[in-house]
Amino acid sequence: MELTLMLATVAGGFLFPFLIRLLWGKLVDNFGTFGGWMAALFIVGTTWAINHGTGMITQGDGGAWIDMGFAAGIGLLTASVVRGGSFAKAVPNVIAAIVGGALGGLILSFFLF
Amino acid sequence: MKFLRAVLGYAIAGMIVMSVWGEFVGVWGIIGGWLAAFAIIGPMWFMNHFLGLIHHDADSGFVDMGLGIGLTGLFRDTFGVGFDAFTAAMPTLALVAVGAILGGFVAAKVEESMEKGGN
Repeated sequence: MELTLMLATVAGGFLFPFLIRLLWGKLVDNFGTFGGWMAALFIVGTTWAINHGTGMITQGDGGAWIDMGFAAGIGLLTASVVRGGSFAKAVPNVIAAIVGGALGGLILSFFLF
Repeated sequence: MKFLRAVLGYAIAGMIVMSVWGEFVGVWGIIGGWLAAFAIIGPMWFMNHFLGLIHHDADSGFVDMGLGIGLTGLFRDTFGVGFDAFTAAMPTLALVAVGAILGGFVAAKVEESMEKGGN
């Protein structure tokens, strides 16, 4: 992968958790649960458009899909720990995400290929 | 039970995103992807993080359903295509992880600064 594409991929990973952390909670505070749907469209939808719609995140040649969801998971865990959240208490949910991801990926592989 | 709830939450969000989203894009292009976020992430966020199917203690670090979605995509192609697909994806995953740690860290610092009301 060229250096420029690598830097763009890092920037794409930066963008998503940064926007979620700063905007999502405030949208819910202001608009209630509908704020969450607004966040889904205006944060996830719009950021998806740059990261995956235009390809700011470069995928590996012949590689499995790396979704910007990874950026949300890793970045938001980082932000919450920096703000005093317990990493140790988050570990069971990280394990649950690995188990759930393996289960979900296995089931999808049964009918998508 | 809380662990099982979390496994279900991450797996369901991951399966819907990693099967339906691409089909929306196939029909409507980039606008389909934009609308997929509303149709999929909206209800999945409501179930997992608003209703709390995925439980977090008040003082726990936050593990977003995005992690389950990302892992579902990685495992989907690893099971469907083979382990070579897994290794070929690692450079992209590493770069995204670096960006995500930076983004999360900077967001936390920006948030602290805004709460202080300073410049």
